Amino acid sequence: MLQCIFIISNSGEVILEKQLQGHRADRSICNWFWEYAMAQGGELSQLLPVIASPTHYLFQIFREGIIFLACTQVEMPPLMGTEFLCRVADIISDYLGGLNEDLIKDNFVIVYELLDEMVDNGYPLITEPNILREMISPPNIVSKMLSVVTGRSSNVSTTLPVATQSCAPWRKTDIKNSGNEVYVNLVEEIDAIVRSDGNLVKCEIYGEIQVDSNLSGYPDLTLSFANPTILNDVRFHPCIRFRPWELYQLLSFVPPNGQFKLMSYRVKKLKSIPIYVKPQLISSSGSCRMTVLVGTRNDPGKPIDSITIEFHLPSCVTSADFTSNHGTVNILADKRCSWSIGRIPKDKAPSLTGNLVLESGLSSLHVCPVLQAKFKIMGVALSGLQIDRLDVKNMPTQPYKGFRALTRAGEYEVRS
Amino acid sequence: MFPQFGATAESLSKASSLVFRIGTDAHLYDDPDDVSIAPLLDSSFDSEKAEALKRLLALIAQGEDVSNFFPQVVKNVATPSSEVKKLVYLYILHYAEKRPNEALLSINCFQKDLSDANPLVRAWALRAMSGIRLHAIGPIALVALSKCAKDPSSYVRKCAANALSKLNDLHQEENASSLEELVSILLNDHSPGVVGAAAAAFNSICPNNLSLVGRIFRRLCETVPDVDEWGQIALINILLRYVIARHGLVEESIMASSHPSENSDSRRELFSIPAPDRGSILVEVEPSEHIMRELMLRHYIEGPEQYSSRQIDAKEDDNGSNNNSYFTSIENNDVKLLLQCTSPLLWSQNSAVVLAAAGVHWVLASQMDMENIVKPILFVLRSSYASRYVVLRNIQIFAKAMPSLFSAYHEDFFVSSSDSYQMKVLKLDILSTIAAESSIPFILQEFQDYIKDPDRRFAVDVVAAIALCVKNLPSVAKTCLEGLLAIVKQESSIKHYGSLEGEAGVLIQAIMSIKTIIKQDPANYEKVIVHLIRSLDNIKEPSARALIIWIVGEYSDVGHIILKIIPVVVSYLGQCFSSEELEAKHQILNTVAKIVLSAQGEEHELFRKVLFYILDLAKVDLNYDIRDRGRMIEKLVTSQPKISHQEGILHVEPDSILLDELLKNMFCGKIQSVTGAINHFRLYLPGSLSQIVLHAAPGYTPLPQPCSLPEMALENRMSQDGIEAANSSDSSYEGSQSSYYDSEGSIPSPVDGENPDSGSESDVADNDHYMLRGANGSPDATAIGQLIHLTDTSIHDGTAKQSTAENNTSSATDLTNLMSKSALESWLNEQPCLPSVNSSADPSRERSSARISINEIEVSVKPKLNVLLEPANGNGLRVGYSFTSEISKISPCYYPSKVPTIVPMEEIDSLHPGDMARSILQVHFHHHLLPLKLAIYYNEKRHPVKLQPDIGYFTRPIAMDLNAFTKLENHLRGMFEYSRRCTFADHINIVDQEKGQSSLNDDKILLICRKIAAKMLSSASIHLVSVDMPILLKFDEVSDLCLRFSSEILSNSKPCLITVTAEGKCSEALDISVKVNCEETVFGLNLLNRIVAFLSSNSVS
Repeated sequence: MLQCIFIISNSGEVILEKQLQGHRADRSICNWFWEYAMAQGGELSQLLPVIASPTHYLFQIFREGIIFLACTQVEMPPLMGTEFLCRVADIISDYLGGLNEDLIKDNFVIVYELLDEMVDNGYPLITEPNILREMISPPNIVSKMLSVVTGRSSNVSTTLPVATQSCAPWRKTDIKNSGNEVYVNLVEEIDAIVRSDGNLVKCEIYGEIQVDSNLSGYPDLTLSFANPTILNDVRFHPCIRFRPWELYQLLSFVPPNGQFKLMSYRVKKLKSIPIYVKPQLISSSGSCRMTVLVGTRNDPGKPIDSITIEFHLPSCVTSADFTSNHGTVNILADKRCSWSIGRIPKDKAPSLTGNLVLESGLSSLHVCPVLQAKFKIMGVALSGLQIDRLDVKNMPTQPYKGFRALTRAGEYEVRS
Repeated sequence: MFPQFGATAESLSKASSLVFRIGTDAHLYDDPDDVSIAPLLDSSFDSEKAEALKRLLALIAQGEDVSNFFPQVVKNVATPSSEVKKLVYLYILHYAEKRPNEALLSINCFQKDLSDANPLVRAWALRAMSGIRLHAIGPIALVALSKCAKDPSSYVRKCAANALSKLNDLHQEENASSLEELVSILLNDHSPGVVGAAAAAFNSICPNNLSLVGRIFRRLCETVPDVDEWGQIALINILLRYVIARHGLVEESIMASSHPSENSDSRRELFSIPAPDRGSILVEVEPSEHIMRELMLRHYIEGPEQYSSRQIDAKEDDNGSNNNSYFTSIENNDVKLLLQCTSPLLWSQNSAVVLAAAGVHWVLASQMDMENIVKPILFVLRSSYASRYVVLRNIQIFAKAMPSLFSAYHEDFFVSSSDSYQMKVLKLDILSTIAAESSIPFILQEFQDYIKDPDRRFAVDVVAAIALCVKNLPSVAKTCLEGLLAIVKQESSIKHYGSLEGEAGVLIQAIMSIKTIIKQDPANYEKVIVHLIRSLDNIKEPSARALIIWIVGEYSDVGHIILKIIPVVVSYLGQCFSSEELEAKHQILNTVAKIVLSAQGEEHELFRKVLFYILDLAKVDLNYDIRDRGRMIEKLVTSQPKISHQEGILHVEPDSILLDELLKNMFCGKIQSVTGAINHFRLYLPGSLSQIVLHAAPGYTPLPQPCSLPEMALENRMSQDGIEAANSSDSSYEGSQSSYYDSEGSIPSPVDGENPDSGSESDVADNDHYMLRGANGSPDATAIGQLIHLTDTSIHDGTAKQSTAENNTSSATDLTNLMSKSALESWLNEQPCLPSVNSSADPSRERSSARISINEIEVSVKPKLNVLLEPANGNGLRVGYSFTSEISKISPCYYPSKVPTIVPMEEIDSLHPGDMARSILQVHFHHHLLPLKLAIYYNEKRHPVKLQPDIGYFTRPIAMDLNAFTKLENHLRGMFEYSRRCTFADHINIVDQEKGQSSLNDDKILLICRKIAAKMLSSASIHLVSVDMPILLKFDEVSDLCLRFSSEILSNSKPCLITVTAEGKCSEALDISVKVNCEETVFGLNLLNRIVAFLSSNSVS
């Protein structure tokens, strides 16, 4: 089981350590890790999640500039280690409203308290955010002010949340909400690979159903889809009952309070993509002319927002200059180019042209950059998944029900 | 661009972050020690305490050692403020291992908290207490644990389950059985959360005690979906292991499919790879799936040596005969149930759960149903980056064993630009494994794009993967070769410079891939070879050139076109020899030699000319290696028989035939590839850490042997479980005990090599009560013993003159109860009736057991002599000590203080060799487990020693009759009662001896009583209340033999009752159960452990 958790900044500083077991893991393991990371090229986001050091097995995840490092000396499911670290990162980021070195340092006591509740003897204890919120209250502006005015105020709850006892640990029984409403959000990410000739290699949608429930008491919800058959893969929040899904493709559940991810799904083998990106590279004697055209392919019916095209220039390109007829182009230090377009104007198709100067000796470009497109479409679920109805039982009054949808680009890649 | 703006932005963001930092603990982290922490800790305000603790925590976070505040922090554990309490617990747990003695101070507080009404406080206390890794805490924590395991709050029970493995980490064998019992209790818990945690504890405490699962298998399966996600992982692992151990492998599963029956022939070939007569092609065509499956079977299951070390034939026979017994069908109810209850887990949000469930299906499910796991694990690939890598590593294995499973899902393995290099390579490997006729066009198209990847390392791997695909699917060879040739052409046009190092790799790999492909059918790919040869002119990279030249030599006699162009090629090679790099020169030498050797007809002369031209050049080459090789080839070629024939020398030496053979083998033999590498593949269970790091991590256990848990054993275990567990743990306990209580074990090593028994006994007799003795092993040295303290024994010999009043009274009461042997005889006629623990005051009441008293017990009571200083360490001085039950006269003056105190004692002036001196030392121990450090000064030297307290002498014997005893016992039931079992074997020798003497007077059972009583009395300061003896017809069997002892704790005069019950056969070791009733939980438990320890240890006599 996990022996120790370290939180390390992206400059290699150990922000805090939490020993989980009697036999302590020495902090020097962090130095080893850091040297290893540097030896691997220093790209922290590309490090292996499971590393065997001479003394320990390390699990690490990298989130927003912070490394969460856990170590163990015995066999344990590696996914359990990394998944738990993800959970820790999620919850800390949720508590602190983000993740960065300063936030963690400023709230180190809360982080310690959280870690202590989340893991016992290296084994996950409570990872349910709702229960944790009851045990340790998150910092908010009121408590901060209070602590400034009155000196100190404790954020550690003196009572054990009831939910730890129930068989639905995600919900406490006696919730009273002033609002009586439930929102269902479809958030979809479209992954696509487009070849340089414009052919679609693959296109699929990864979607999440996020629910924001503000219901009192012990409500029982049933969500049904108009076209559940299009769902290729599914993963469920523990609150979903398996039987109704197996038999009727219904989501029947008692929701946690507040925001949570009800399920995630995947819809594969889609045929249409909302925008096209056409890169063109023409090499001639030591330089290369690059043009990129962007436009709407299949109009989703709603405006496509914040379109950005990003790509890495190959290392054999020594210099480049770009001009665009719409939006702005930035070339960052690591040869990463970013062209932010925003919305596609009605009157013209945005285009980017540039001249790449190649390393001497190269007559033409033999490697091709991959362009990544980012965009956002409000109000549409591109997978076509439709929510049929949401029934709420166990409630004295029918709550207000809201539905929303959003599609954004996930791994939307265009090869050139 | 705008540095000034950047600076402004920076300061702005700083300012804004300052605003956000108000009210947080930021200042504590930044300057944790800008105020003095110590006074804050002693403050009477909770807020100040909390601040101090937060500062300490900040220092801990920054890696400072602040353990010196431990005593002050521990003091605060009694606070009512939950925040301070939490912070104190955080601090204590961080340093508990470092400062064990101070951590002990907090125990009382934990114990108080354990009975708090608030479950959260109870859980915290339990977690903190079990987190202190201290052997002395073990028993106390165990009591707390057993209490918490029955707590009404499931949260507390869950914490108890987690605490189990903490205690297990202490490796206290005496607790092992109780831990297992607790695991069993918690596994039976009705709350799913607790079951999950208990499953994790099971894995760390008794992973092999699968019979524990057998009873509740069905119920556990049904709980699986309700258990929390982390618990599910541990639980289904146990269930899988149980099913394998109980029922064996599933016949329809992939594990079983590798079993001999139908494909034994193919396997035989695979495993005898280095066999000389086997061509390389044959081996390569073999589907590698079978090897993988075979390997899986071998590696997944325990005892791999059984599978791997044996000869293949033997193995086949073996498995063939055992086939039926190892297997079960998919129709088996348990298998079905487990598969059913783990299926929904494949939809879990937690990737670890998905993979664990997939692992269960992988091992158990039939090959038809395997499809179920594919989509869920592929979907996990869309979750976090970290899990992606681990899942891919597992899919890689799955795919190798069963490529068809994934072939329809090739799209999921298409590389995306955000993948790290390792993931790209993994995906590539999977793609080339699962490539099928239907998907290969798409995959190859993808590969074409990958070759343009900016990461050239990856491009190299892609080119290599193409060759792999062709190996699996020979039909695409043509397309692939065309592609590869195009790559060669393109790459050879690029001039390589510093930053383009990777490019050379692509080119070389492309040629290597071509080489691998044409090797399979050279005649068919003649044109490709010609193509390569023609590109020689453009290719500058020496390794690439060397490769092509090698190909020329290898396939110089293939086909028609090559034959025609060979002369040109050879001349070309001759021309460019001098300008080549080392590598290529080597290959030119080899190739031309090969061609010369194999060539026939008119070209032969040309080849020879070129060869000798090259050889001439080689002789003057700068590189000695080339020169050597040139000379060697010259020698070989010129001594060739054919050549000598031409030169007119007709006799053919017998050697030359051999030489010819040698030459043919050296230059013309076709290469044989070795594909043995796959056998060195290591496989571990899917989802395990070992599978990722590719070595068995500590604690890794493969699946148990199939059917190693037979049904009969299971049922037996159900009834006898507790007893067996207790027994087995006791036996191991004895072993460890001797080292733990060192002092006892070392008694039989007297100075002067006398017979140990008689030596110590006579010593004791001689010296009356003087337990402290110094003896000098080296005759001419005088020793001065000094400063040993005693709280001595005196329950021994009848000659005890100085025995205390208590002791006198105790023996007096013994005498009052004393009955003669004849009295016992009279009881024998009484008809049996029940209870042995009877509240009745009347000793003459009818009962099945006789109450006897043992006279002359004092004679057999020997003082327990512990060694303080060994002669070996003490320069010949031996110091022993024992405790008396005498009460110190000054004892009342010393009220409990933090430090153990010693009453000064006078020096022993001198001690002659062989002499002994005794004196009494009075000590106030602070704790009944902590040793006291002393120093003995003699001969001007200081000898540090440790005085181990004996908890047996922390009591004083109190006289009471049975009536009072039972009354008191009834008051001290429930949580004040602790019992343990052990075995007692001391009597065996005596019983045997008695047999020899055929003494009719002594009853065997009486002897046993005496023996037990003597042992008890000589190890603890207690009073024998009564002995109940069973009346049975069989004289060599003991049951319900019951001895009662009473005492009170010295420090607080609380009564402490001990009951010893014995059962078993006289001639064998007896089962003893010891029960202690005492209000002081910790003390009672430690006393119990002590009694069990000395009862089960083999006595000196």
